[in-house]
Amino acid sequence: MNIDELKDAWNKDDSGDLHLHLDTARMNKTTSILGRLRRNMKMEVVSLLISYVMVFAVLFWNVRSALFFNITVVLLFSSMVISAFYFFRFYVFYKSIGQYDLNIVNSIRKITYELELNTEIYKTYSFSAIPLSVLTALALIASKIKFDHLNNAILTNSSPLSFNMMLYAFGTILLSFIITYVCINIHVRLSYGKHLAGLKQVMNELGELS
Amino acid sequence: MTVNPKEAEFLKQIESNKGILFKICRIYQDNAEDRDDLLQEMTLQLWLAYDSFRSESKFSTWMYRVALNTAIAFFKKQRRRPDDQSLPYEFDRAEELSRVNEEEEKLAMFYKAVHQLDKIEKALIYLYMENQSYEEIATHLGITAVNARVRMSRLKDKLKEITKKMNYEYR
Repeated sequence: MNIDELKDAWNKDDSGDLHLHLDTARMNKTTSILGRLRRNMKMEVVSLLISYVMVFAVLFWNVRSALFFNITVVLLFSSMVISAFYFFRFYVFYKSIGQYDLNIVNSIRKITYELELNTEIYKTYSFSAIPLSVLTALALIASKIKFDHLNNAILTNSSPLSFNMMLYAFGTILLSFIITYVCINIHVRLSYGKHLAGLKQVMNELGELS
Repeated sequence: MTVNPKEAEFLKQIESNKGILFKICRIYQDNAEDRDDLLQEMTLQLWLAYDSFRSESKFSTWMYRVALNTAIAFFKKQRRRPDDQSLPYEFDRAEELSRVNEEEEKLAMFYKAVHQLDKIEKALIYLYMENQSYEEIATHLGITAVNARVRMSRLKDKLKEITKKMNYEYR
């Protein structure tokens, strides 16, 4: 087959009665990696905002322990600052995907690099935010229960942990972090890993080209 | 329903260049439903990226880039039920033979052969068939013109080999 001889047939092969509808394209569930990435990222933001609204709704309701209320507020604000910082970075990435001012090789390289980088940033964010969120939730629950003796014990009768207790606490915290790390990795792999693998496959093909 | 001027202008532009999308779909997808999905995806991505189009370059040049980027990097085939899949080539071809002339048959064979190439090779073939010069192909893809020429020459040989095998199989 000589493809140069096919150019006439190629030029005649027109789109016929093909009609393009933007509304249909908008409405249909997107099948692209880009669309799924955007959708996942939107879902993450919406979930985060909903969880903050819920926490604030519960925060001022039936406060029984001022100490734990104050701890909750400090933890919550810290968590919000951390989330705002990371989500701003994700927003920059969100806006940059789908910019086509580069040639094909460079734009695919860029998106692959950015996706890999942001996946790692996302893992770091989750790794720092999840323990903080757990502590916030515990403090929030504690603020709803009147624990006078616990408050007093914390404020007046605290004593240093014994070595064994310290080891026990360290072991528990280490285990919690390991479980968190494994869960984050599974979540990231399921949500973004396959998209990254797909892009890396294209990158390999590009490697052969350049 | 009213269409805003920006959207109307966009639709007008892609309508006059829809052949680009049509052929990219044919090059990249062998299944009619996948072609339809890809067409919608490219339309959507073009719209989302429309703000990045600068009118100093030709709309079609920008369109090649966005559409090919979508087809190469961002589009993933849907898993379909077995009964949704396209027919095996023998049946598919038999149906084509009954309704097309020799030239169209060759073109159908060409598309079948191209479907066996990888995504980047498809982009090269597509741009070549669109009568783009090696310099233009190189600019679109981000490689050198010499590289584009060498790759294209190898691709022509590869396509010959593929079609030879296909002919052999169907005799």
